[in-house]
Amino acid sequence: MIRFFFDGRPIEAYPGESVAAALRAAGILALRRSPREGSPRGSFCWMGLCQECTVVADGVRRPACRLEVAGGMVVSSGAVP
Amino acid sequence: MSELTFDSAVIGAGVMGANVALWLARGGMRTTLIDRGEICREASGVNAGTLTLHMTRAALIPYAMKGRALWLSSQAWLGADVGARSASGFSLAFTEAEEEMLVKRAEARSAMGAPIRIVTPAEARAIEPGINPTIRAAAFCALDGHVTAYLTGRGYRAALLQAGVALHEGHGVEGIGVSDAGYVIRRCGAAPIHARRIVLAGGVWLETMLAWLGQHVSVRCLINQLIVTERMRPVMRSVVGIANGLLSLKQFENGTVLIGGGWQGKGDPIRGGIEPIPDNLIGNIQLARHAIPALGETRVLRIWLGLESETEDAMPMVGPLPGLTEAYVIGCVHSGYTSAPYIGRLLAERILGREPEQPLFDPARLMKPRQEQA
Amino acid sequence: MSAADLIIVGGGPAGVEAALEAEAHGLSVILMDEAPQAGGQVYRAPPRAFSGAIQRQADPIGVRLRDRLSASRVQQFFDHTVWSVSPGFRVDALGPKGPVSYEARAVLAASGAQERVVPFPGWTRPEIVGLAGATIMLKSQGILPGRLTLVAGQGPLLLIVAIGILKAGGRVAAIVDLASRAEWLADWPALASRPDLAVRGLAWRAKLARAGVPILYRHAIRQVEKVGARRVSVTVGPVAANGMPLAAPLRGFEVDAVAVGNGLTASTDITRLLRAEHHFEPLRGGWAPKLDAYYRSSVSGLYVAGDGAGIAGAAAAACDGRLAGLCIAHDLGTVAEAEFRRAAAPLRRDAARARRFGTAMAKLMALRQGQVQAIPPETVLCRCEDITRAELTRAVGDGARSLNQLKAWTRCGMGPCQGRICGDVVGAVLVVEGGTREDVGQFTGRTPFRPLPLDQLAGDLAYADLKLPPPAPL
Repeated sequence: MIRFFFDGRPIEAYPGESVAAALRAAGILALRRSPREGSPRGSFCWMGLCQECTVVADGVRRPACRLEVAGGMVVSSGAVP
Repeated sequence: MSELTFDSAVIGAGVMGANVALWLARGGMRTTLIDRGEICREASGVNAGTLTLHMTRAALIPYAMKGRALWLSSQAWLGADVGARSASGFSLAFTEAEEEMLVKRAEARSAMGAPIRIVTPAEARAIEPGINPTIRAAAFCALDGHVTAYLTGRGYRAALLQAGVALHEGHGVEGIGVSDAGYVIRRCGAAPIHARRIVLAGGVWLETMLAWLGQHVSVRCLINQLIVTERMRPVMRSVVGIANGLLSLKQFENGTVLIGGGWQGKGDPIRGGIEPIPDNLIGNIQLARHAIPALGETRVLRIWLGLESETEDAMPMVGPLPGLTEAYVIGCVHSGYTSAPYIGRLLAERILGREPEQPLFDPARLMKPRQEQA
Repeated sequence: MSAADLIIVGGGPAGVEAALEAEAHGLSVILMDEAPQAGGQVYRAPPRAFSGAIQRQADPIGVRLRDRLSASRVQQFFDHTVWSVSPGFRVDALGPKGPVSYEARAVLAASGAQERVVPFPGWTRPEIVGLAGATIMLKSQGILPGRLTLVAGQGPLLLIVAIGILKAGGRVAAIVDLASRAEWLADWPALASRPDLAVRGLAWRAKLARAGVPILYRHAIRQVEKVGARRVSVTVGPVAANGMPLAAPLRGFEVDAVAVGNGLTASTDITRLLRAEHHFEPLRGGWAPKLDAYYRSSVSGLYVAGDGAGIAGAAAAACDGRLAGLCIAHDLGTVAEAEFRRAAAPLRRDAARARRFGTAMAKLMALRQGQVQAIPPETVLCRCEDITRAELTRAVGDGARSLNQLKAWTRCGMGPCQGRICGDVVGAVLVVEGGTREDVGQFTGRTPFRPLPLDQLAGDLAYADLKLPPPAPL
C-alpha cells in the first residue's frame, strides 16, 4: 500500500489505482462542489470526460479518475472558491 | 400595406443590424430585421466583449467611449442585462521597445479623449496585484470593462420584438432588386420582402451583399482566436492587455478568464472560422500567463474563432451608399462591438432624417469601379 | 515534428485492428490514446502495477490485442491526450512530457463511445455513477460502486454491471430496466448470430435469479434523495414503452450507490471539429459522421471506425477497424485493387455479422422520447453549469432554437465537459420543445478535446523567445 493526501487527510491506496478509486474505496465520494448550486459532486463517467471528479493534484487540475496515485501525492478538492 | 412590406429592412442580425433596427422601430418606422441564421450567432455573439479603449483605434475613441457608456446602461435603454461591467484597464510593457510603443499609443489615444495615463510598475501592481512584477511600465485607463457577448442576442431579441421589429431568423437573402417603391429583398425559399429603405449590416459578408447593389468594396476577413479557461479563483479585476495590442484578458464574475488579442486562425467568410492554429493557441496562452502568472493554475476549456471585418483603411464603413436612394451600410467598425450601440444609433438617426451627433464614415471613399475587382 | 502515413486516434478494438492492418500493408502508423495501454473502454487493461482489492483477470481478447500490438511496428503514444486535429493533417496531444504534434497523410478517428444518462432529480449526487463508469470501476480499478448498488437504465450494460458487482462480492438491490422482457426476446434472432454471448446472457440471468436480484422491467428512476451520511433513497416507478412515467405503483430502495445509464453515443469530437457531415441515427446512438463503404468521412483523408461511427459494439468495432485499415492502405496506394477486393470480401462479411448483434444491442440503448419529455423542470440537465430544464425552457421561450444559441443564452454546455455529457439529451429536450434533431443541430466542435492544464501547455518559455505576430494598428 502507498499513502497520499486528500485535503490534508492521509489515504491508503494500492499502487496503480486511480485517485478516484482510492478515494471512493476510502469512503470519500464528494470531490468538489458545483459552481452555482454548490452541490457535492464525485466521479461519474470514469472516462475523463465529465470532469466531475476534478481535483488539484500536486498543483495541477485533473480528473481523479484518470490520475494514478503516487506515494506522497498532495491532492485537494477541485472546487473553485 | 402587405405583411412583407416595410419602411426599412435591415439585413444582418448582428449587434450592428439589431441596433439600427431597434432605433428605426423606436423612431416609428415599420422595420424588419433579416438573418440567414439566428440573431447574434456570428461575431456579435462570440467576440471578447471588450469595452477597452487601449485597443480602440485612436480616431474611434470618441465613439468607443459613447458605446461603452451605452453598454453599461443597457438595462435602461435595452431592458436587458447583457453582463456589462465597468472595470479599469491596463496595457503592459515588458521590454524597452514595448514601453516606447506604450507611451506613443497612450499619447495618441489620450489626445482623442481617452483618459489613459502611464503608471509605474508599483502603481499598476497596487491596483492589480495579479500583474507580472517584471513589467517596465503600464498604461492605465479607468474606463474599461466587458460585456458577456454571448448574451447579446437574447437581450436584443426581446427588445426588438417589444419595439415591433419583424424578425426573420433563418432566412437567407440571395439578392436585392431595386423597384419604384424601394428595394425587393429576394430570400432563399421564401417570399420576397419589400422595403423603402435598406440597411446592409452583414459584417464579413458585406463585400458580397454590397455587390448585389452593384457596389464594389474590399472587405478583409480576420479570423480572431479566442480562448476561455475553466472557472478559477479571482486572479484579476481589470482588463489587461499589452502594448502591441496582441492580448486582451479579463476574468468574468463566474471565474472564467477570456483570452483574446487577435491571434489568427484559419477560415473564410463562406465556411466561417474553422481551424485554429495550434501554435497560435500556445503563443496566445504563453503571453497571457506571462501577463498574469496565476493563469497557469487553470485549464483551457475552449478555443474558438470569430470573424472580424476590416476595410482597406481599417476605418468603419457607415452611411448612405453612393448613387442609391435610401440604401445604407454599417460595418467594419474596428472594435465594433464596443461602439455598436452608439454607431448603430447614429446611423438610425441619419436614416430617420436627423443630424447624427458625430460624423458617420462615408462608404463612398472605399468604392471601386467594377473592373478593379479581382 | 514526426510524420507518418496514418495517425489513429483511439486505442480501442477499432483503432488497434486498423493500426495492425494498415501497418501490415506497409503504412507507417502512429496510434495515440489517453489511456496508459491499448484496449479502449471494453478491453481496458488493469493498471500495470496493480494489486487492488478485487482480483480480476483482464479479458483475454484485450490481452491478445495488446500482445499483437506490442509485436508490431506501430508507433504507440499512450498517455497522450489528443486535443486537436488540424486538416492536412496535424495532430496535437499533451503527453507526459508536454505538448507534442505529429503529421500524417490520413487520420482515422477511432474515439469510441461515451455514455448518455437521462437526468432525474438527484442524479448529480456523488453516490451515482454511469453504467459504463461502473464497468471501469469493476474491471480496471477493482472497486465496487458501493456495498449495495441499484443498477438502472437500459441496454446490455445493465446485466454486465449487475453480474460484475455480484462476482466482485457486492450486492445488487435491483435491476431497473427501461425495456420490457419482450423487447429483450425480440432481439433473440440477432443474439443467435453470437451463440457464445446468448449462452452467457442466459447464465447471467440464472445467476441473478439465484442471488435474488429483482429485475423491474419497464421501470425507471424517478428521483434520488440523500438519507443519512452514507445512503440514498431511490424512488422507482413504471414507464410506458416510450419511457413516459406511469402513475403507480412507486417503489423505494435504500442503497449506497446507483449505477445508471441510457445507452451510448458516438464520440464525434474530431469529425465535428473538422466539419465533416453528420447524420442523426437514433438506433445507433444519435449523431454520427456520414461515411461511405470505405470508412471515408466527407473530409478527404479523414476516416472513422468503431463506435465513433455509430454504436455497434466492440466486436463490430474490431472488424470495422481491420477493414478500415485495409481501405486506408488501399487509398494511400499500398494495396493493389485486386488484392484489396480479395482481402476485403471476407472482412466485410465478418463486419456485417458483428454489426447485426451490435445493432440489436444499440436498439435497446436508444433514447426514449417519453422519458426525455418527462424530465421535471427543476432537474439539472447540464451538470457543469447547473442549468435546469426550466432555464432551458425559458431560453426557448425567448427564441433559442438551436443547441448553439441555447448554449450562448444559458451556459448549458459551456462548462468543463463542453457539452459532451449533456449534448445528446439537451438536443432531445429541444426537440420536445419543437423542431427536429437536424434543426436543433449539434454543439459546434472545438478544440481542445479535453481541458488542458494551461501551465503544461504553455511550458517554460522566456518572454524574449515568444513569437509575437505584428502589432495591431493604432
